[in-house]
Amino acid sequence: MTALAHLSASRIIRSIADACARWSDADFPPRVQCLDAIAQRTGYSTTVIEYALDTIFDAVDEMSLRDIANDELGALGVLDAFTTVGSLQRRAVPIGTVCIIASRTTIGVALFPLLLALTAKCDVTIKDREDGLVRAFLGSLVQEDALFASAARTVEWDATTDAHDLTVYDAVVAFGDDATLGKIRAQCAPSARFIGFGSKASAGYIAADSLCDKGQLHEFALRAARDVLLYDSQGCLSLQILFLEHGGSLNAHTLAHAIAEAADAIAPEFPPSRRNAHDESRITSIRALATLRSALGRGEIITAPQANATFVINAPREDPPPFATRTLLILEVTDTNDALSYLRAHGVALEAIALASATPDLREELAQMGVSRICAFGELQRPPLREPHGGRPRMLDFVHLSIADHV
Amino acid sequence: MISAEHLDHDILSRIDQWHRHGHMIDDVAFDRLAREIWAFQCAHNVPYAAYCAALRVDDARPPASWREIPAVPTAAYKESTFATFDVENAALAFVTSGTTRGIGGRHYMQTAALYDAALLATFDHFMLADGAKLRYLNLVPNPHERSDSSLGYMMAHISAHRGSPETTGWYVRGDAFLIDALFADIDDAIAQQQPVCIATTAFALVLALDTMEREKRTFTLPAGSRIMETGGFKGRTQIVNRTELYARACTAFGIGDEQVIAEYGMTELTSQYYDLARPAITLQSGTHYRVKGAPPWMRPRVVDHEGRDLPDGTIGALVHVDCANRSSCVAVLTEDLGAIVDGNLVLLGREEGAHLRGCSLDAENLRPS
Repeated sequence: MTALAHLSASRIIRSIADACARWSDADFPPRVQCLDAIAQRTGYSTTVIEYALDTIFDAVDEMSLRDIANDELGALGVLDAFTTVGSLQRRAVPIGTVCIIASRTTIGVALFPLLLALTAKCDVTIKDREDGLVRAFLGSLVQEDALFASAARTVEWDATTDAHDLTVYDAVVAFGDDATLGKIRAQCAPSARFIGFGSKASAGYIAADSLCDKGQLHEFALRAARDVLLYDSQGCLSLQILFLEHGGSLNAHTLAHAIAEAADAIAPEFPPSRRNAHDESRITSIRALATLRSALGRGEIITAPQANATFVINAPREDPPPFATRTLLILEVTDTNDALSYLRAHGVALEAIALASATPDLREELAQMGVSRICAFGELQRPPLREPHGGRPRMLDFVHLSIADHV
Repeated sequence: MISAEHLDHDILSRIDQWHRHGHMIDDVAFDRLAREIWAFQCAHNVPYAAYCAALRVDDARPPASWREIPAVPTAAYKESTFATFDVENAALAFVTSGTTRGIGGRHYMQTAALYDAALLATFDHFMLADGAKLRYLNLVPNPHERSDSSLGYMMAHISAHRGSPETTGWYVRGDAFLIDALFADIDDAIAQQQPVCIATTAFALVLALDTMEREKRTFTLPAGSRIMETGGFKGRTQIVNRTELYARACTAFGIGDEQVIAEYGMTELTSQYYDLARPAITLQSGTHYRVKGAPPWMRPRVVDHEGRDLPDGTIGALVHVDCANRSSCVAVLTEDLGAIVDGNLVLLGREEGAHLRGCSLDAENLRPS
């Protein structure tokens, strides 16, 4: 039996929602106390961290958790007892013990799986980060209901020097590159459910018939600039590649200029993070090479000095996307196939794509490619909790489903 | 406009003055020479001139000092030809490593004289300051097989002028490392008490050390022997810590830490850096780094993303202003990270390449349990 086994799912989601509501308040003392530590760890400005915390905690309420349960399990009640869903009796029991290993430089990425695993009544261990964000949040949950103290715990270990036994978990959630995920997976019990979130990127696509009205461009540029600047284009939901279809009234130069201007305009709202020497050096190389190519008539580079952002236009197709801090690659393409072939050629797995306009065919193509999220520009980095992450359901991974058929 | 011959004569005489008499090049002379070379290159090297013009540096707006000379990124050698002459007439052409896209570029040189003079003078100064006569055991590409390898050319030239053809050994054939042959020649050198210089890439050194460990073999090299490590791990998957590598080498070959000297060069440059015989320094990361010295006609800069000089001790992208690069580009922006400390270079390694980021950003490695 897990610690929350006898607590009703309704009670659990109410407690979670209440704790999140308290954390939504920027003046909530535990949240305030975490800010400096998160800034120290990630290098992000306070403004960006506040934005991230707002995005996380505003997204979680009773309704959103109930919706996920309804969508994925059929009904919230299946977490408590056999419940009629359609023509069947359905029950979802917790998978058991869950370990969540988050990446080092993201903000609160462990929180969503934590909350959903708790809703599924699992016992959860989270590898916490130096800022203690998860630990502090768990403190708030325990204030809502003391049972959470037994249901969730944070553990700190240094992956380079300490071993942590992963064989004891029934499910392991991990964020990392392919090599890291492979190592973690190899350490799990054979029967454990491995929920890996690998490296992904996000892109945008502007069809030829989009943005024909010049008046639209400014508003569009502001939204695209936010997708680039927020989290310094380091998130899997950041805009890192923007495809512009040939044949429209807009060209890549005009588009890049508009986004660069917009980026400078919103720079005070999204100040750049503290960069390390590797980031800085990569941008130095990217800018120098793009400048040289531009001088030789091969592409173009535009920078946004206030935002410290770089826009590389029409780099050679043999080059992979830069994936550098506050750097956007803008490529002119003939059609979606052209864009998709570029992504495939470089093995870019897309998490999300922003579209200026969408057709059913395009959506289908993107879904076939494994894109999890298709949205409007400006919304890339604000996925509703209800949406799948990495193409996976949010809650289903944390339960075993049982069906009673005519019994 | 100063001619190529005039510039070459000037550079060669400065190399010679340093080589024979230890004469340095003062700030004013270096600045003048570097800017003269830049002006010559802008007149004769079309892609470089276009690049400079894009950065608003041209005849009408020349660099105010050598620090303002635009630096060409090394990756650009893979997609453009940077030469001040018709490359059909190149005396030397070395292929750069294809670290960025798996494609190699070429560095063409109009004359071998600059390269030969620069490498010998620098090697003598940093590697043979004691005037040692060494036997050269080269665990680097053999120029007879790979005529486009700058490292192979360099060691062939050094071996020919500072060693003897009869005793020089080459231990890379194709993709194979002839470790047994190397060990046999080391045994022979030990028997004859001939001090050796083992010139090796870091990768090949690891291979040799691994073999020695497997075979439970160690050597005690003759007094005066040394190891010149160079070339890094480019294109290899195995990366090791330099401090650990050198410690292993000292134990395995029976030499002192000061006898393992790292050379730092690149195909896009004509000149090389070498470790200085002075204590390692500790940078903000807490790691110890050796300090590297350059010949007086080459100076390093550490820059930010706008190409501005960073303060001493700050880590950033490395630019080398190499006056011996007369027939290509005098200033080269590398993908290496470094810092300037007391006018000398501290090399930290290569910048991280493009990779997917996201939830996985800065993913950690787990130690197997």
